[in-house]
Amino acid sequence: MKLGNDDVRAIAAEARLSLTDTELAGTVRYINNFLDMVDRFKELDLKDVEPFCFAETNVCPLREDVPAAFLRGEEILADRSDSTGAFFKVPRIMEE
Amino acid sequence: MSDNTKLTFTPVIGIEIHIQLKTKSKVFCSCSADYTNDEPNSHICPVCMGLPGSMPVLNKSVIQQGMLAGMALNCTVQPTTYFFRKSYYYPDLPKNYQITQSDLPIAANGWLEIKDDAGNPKTIRINRLHLEEDVGKLHHSAADGRLEGAETSWVDYNRSGLPLAEIVSEPDVSSAREAVEYVTALRRRVRYAGASDVDLEKGMMRFDANVSVKCSDGRWGRRVEVKNMNSFRALERAIEYEIKRQSKILAEGGEVLQETRHWNDAKETTTASRVKEFYRKFIVEPDLPPLVVSPQWVEEVRGMLPEMPNEKAARYKEMGLSEIDAGVLTDSIDVAQYFEACVAAGANPLRAGNWVRTEVLRAVNDRQAGDRQVGEKQAGDRQFGVKDLPVKPDVLAELIRRIDDGKLSTTLAKNVFEGLLEGLSLDEAVKNSGAAEGGVNAGALEDLVSATLAANADVVGDIRSGKDTKGKKVKFLQGLIMRETKGQARPEEVAAAIESALANPENLK
Amino acid sequence: MELYELGVREIVEGVRGKKFSALEVFDECLHRTLACESEISALITTTADAGRAHARQIDERIAKGEPLGPLAGVPVILKDNICTHGIRTTAGSRILGRWAPPYSATVWDLLSSAGAVLLGKSNMDEFAMGNTCSTSAFGPTANPWDLSRVPGGSSGGSAASVAAGYVPFALGSDTGGSIRQPASYCGIYGLKPTYGLVSRYGLIAYGSSLDQIGPFTRSVQDMDLIMDILARHDPKDSTSVDKRIDFTRREEKGERPLKGKRVALVEEFRDFTLDPPIADAMKRLIRIFEEMGAEIVQVSLPTVARYAVACYYAIAASEAHTNLARFDGVRYGYRVTTASGLKDMFEEVRSKGFGAEVKSRIIAGTCLTEPVRSEEYYVAATRVRTLIAEEFKRAFENVDCILQPVTPSLPSKIGESDEDAMKGYESDLYTLPVNMAGLPGFSFCTGYSDSGLPVGLQLVGPRWSDKNLLDIGFELEKVLGAPKIAREITRGIA
Repeated sequence: MKLGNDDVRAIAAEARLSLTDTELAGTVRYINNFLDMVDRFKELDLKDVEPFCFAETNVCPLREDVPAAFLRGEEILADRSDSTGAFFKVPRIMEE
Repeated sequence: MSDNTKLTFTPVIGIEIHIQLKTKSKVFCSCSADYTNDEPNSHICPVCMGLPGSMPVLNKSVIQQGMLAGMALNCTVQPTTYFFRKSYYYPDLPKNYQITQSDLPIAANGWLEIKDDAGNPKTIRINRLHLEEDVGKLHHSAADGRLEGAETSWVDYNRSGLPLAEIVSEPDVSSAREAVEYVTALRRRVRYAGASDVDLEKGMMRFDANVSVKCSDGRWGRRVEVKNMNSFRALERAIEYEIKRQSKILAEGGEVLQETRHWNDAKETTTASRVKEFYRKFIVEPDLPPLVVSPQWVEEVRGMLPEMPNEKAARYKEMGLSEIDAGVLTDSIDVAQYFEACVAAGANPLRAGNWVRTEVLRAVNDRQAGDRQVGEKQAGDRQFGVKDLPVKPDVLAELIRRIDDGKLSTTLAKNVFEGLLEGLSLDEAVKNSGAAEGGVNAGALEDLVSATLAANADVVGDIRSGKDTKGKKVKFLQGLIMRETKGQARPEEVAAAIESALANPENLK
Repeated sequence: MELYELGVREIVEGVRGKKFSALEVFDECLHRTLACESEISALITTTADAGRAHARQIDERIAKGEPLGPLAGVPVILKDNICTHGIRTTAGSRILGRWAPPYSATVWDLLSSAGAVLLGKSNMDEFAMGNTCSTSAFGPTANPWDLSRVPGGSSGGSAASVAAGYVPFALGSDTGGSIRQPASYCGIYGLKPTYGLVSRYGLIAYGSSLDQIGPFTRSVQDMDLIMDILARHDPKDSTSVDKRIDFTRREEKGERPLKGKRVALVEEFRDFTLDPPIADAMKRLIRIFEEMGAEIVQVSLPTVARYAVACYYAIAASEAHTNLARFDGVRYGYRVTTASGLKDMFEEVRSKGFGAEVKSRIIAGTCLTEPVRSEEYYVAATRVRTLIAEEFKRAFENVDCILQPVTPSLPSKIGESDEDAMKGYESDLYTLPVNMAGLPGFSFCTGYSDSGLPVGLQLVGPRWSDKNLLDIGFELEKVLGAPKIAREITRGIA
């Protein structure tokens, strides 16, 4: 086992996920199996291998700098939890 | 505890600057970049809101402005660069990752020259300039508007996705003063390049500083990242505060911890960030292929880069301007261009420099001060600048030429200039200045003064050598001239003309 | 023949020729859908009203003699990770709950302006993570050929709806086999196009460098028609390639239509066991290819065979954990109002909003990209991926396409799953290498097992060979027959 309960809990918290004890047991097993699977990479000499990139899409297309408003902003706003003002509301950010 | 009275502390400072690049639309979507005074969340779309399924498309101007800023900072433009997703969770970041070039940037390995605290030239190396997207703005419910203690916060995403350049210096800065000089010089050059308006009041330039202190006994404090400085003053005070704080800890035998601290502008202190330092994880941005800039494009952009302030100032000095004049005239590219247009229109460079530095800039400052008082200047309005002055450089050149030709005295010319500021034509302003009305033509008066002074060289010699303590000899010369004009000249004009002639003997004919 | 049994081409011709109206077609398809849905559960949302209104508009255009799009009146179902303006789009997840996007995916813009009429949004494994269509927050979908079995995934709802005759075509997305595997399980055609050929704008991303949208159809000619509309450069997708392929033209071939073609088998795949019906289908297809004049050759893909699965899951999880970070309850989707602090809110929204498989993969992706492990796992995977893509490239220097299974086994029973998730992942070996290298893969039905389940195989070609694969598929269709609709499920219902 590479990672224990605490490690996996910490990683989950990093991804803003909390796990029940049952979920945790399954996830610890899953992550360790996953790491065993990807440990295969260590058999390969990758020193001189470039990270993958699609040859044909090798050049990032560029857009002309012309402003154009999205006309359905109201529909994006309609989805917020609190409709006072045009803001998106979030609870206390700073932890005690 | 050891005897620490002799210990000295050397600060080692690196500066990270975020600059909002000047474009019409955002970096990855077509929302307008100009949202000043607009309703919150009125400049949003699926892309800058990170809606599921949306994808970024890179704005060409952002690359161009990034190259210009990089070139202005003596950086090398990198032919192939990449974008990454930098992951952290924060509500102003719609995707919970930021698209950034990070350490494979558009421009790298630059430098700027400043003066160190002893006045000697010093080079501050620039590690890189990389492009990234800005985040939204948070408003907090706490009474003081700060994050601490706020039960609720509100997010406005208008700023989300605005193009930023982050400029990272090497840790070459040694004091708060050097830091301010570095960012001042950097700001000037970036503005010259036209890459950003770098308006501090509008948050277009924000600073973070990495401060550590080395003790003379060989101990080092860890690096502390100080965030949240939005003005030169805040940067200066925050660095001063941190140097003091860290030196004190080391002096007392303590250990400086590696941490992130926030500058509190109101309290003028730094406080350890209670939010756990963002955990930075990167993957390659799969939605954007590598960015390739062709050598042709780089050269095209290089051609757009104007002469930089240092080079301009050096050239002005060659024209005979003083270091101070050259410095003042090159502080803003608009002023420099005004001056150059004036010279191009035939004005004597020395006199033109003098006029721009004094009269022109005074007029601009008066107008700005007036605007502030009246409160006309709203956040969105552009500040009154030299370009807005009713006196165009060719008109000023003509005015200066008339002084040189003796048609106007300097004093009268200043009156004429006031008239020009009110929007009069040159001829109207001359007429209004009293030069024509007052019986004696200004040129004629100057000629008369020259002649009188030349004929009374002994008296002039006495005045120059300081023997005229009671001003009697000047009065004598004045009397001669009044008599010569048969009382037509105005005494105060005559006095001023004599004074001017005495002060500028080279102008005597 | 019922209207719902018609293909895309026949509907287009019939509607244009006023043999039947667009509304009649839509209503027939809707009727068929409603008759089967209680058994199959292929759809998350049915868009009956909007669809009927659209069909009526088309009929009005016909009545007025106005110009029509190339798909006028053809009912379609979209996988529920394809954004449709104003119509709920869930990606099979509770976290998107009732989200109605304020914009449409480019593919839906293209189809709707071509006149296709939306009948519904189909069920899928949550965020396209899975190969059974059972991880959906909306419950599992059944295979129309055997209701006790899975339709495959993640685009199981789209595949099942085409197989059951709801619509003549549907769209899915394929990140590691999510079009080809359900197409195979449901006995229809599924094309995973070359990466970059079809716009991903508006596709809720799972593994952005692997995802690709593609169609399900019951005939190769229908596939041609749909691909001709979808395969367009999209400036809104920076990975979309400006390369036009003409899908409409096809030369008539003679007696031995594949003469001169080299069709390859992967040497390393011989070591893996296949269910007997699939092994038999491979043998049969080799014979058919030889009879059609093709030369059967061997290619060796050792890196693919050993590393593709690990490499795929590493990259997919790493990209997924960033793609799914945005679901936090602030801007859209599922939210909780009781949380006292931001971190609590994020955790509650995400922990309740995501299902188990999604959470596992997010945690895996977070784990692999942690600064301490990134080089060893995430970055290593991107390098292994280069080796895999190069291996394919070399292989395709000498061959036109590869013939290979889609899956090692026939569809499993709903609810059956491997104890060890990694074993389940291994069964994706035949599909996911195609996504690693951005290749086109075409899944087709060869026939049926003794138990009546469809048996599919796939053709894999070099990048941009999509049309060539369909050309071969067209010749195969003449021999194998076109895929059939699973009719009998309506027994006792209609």
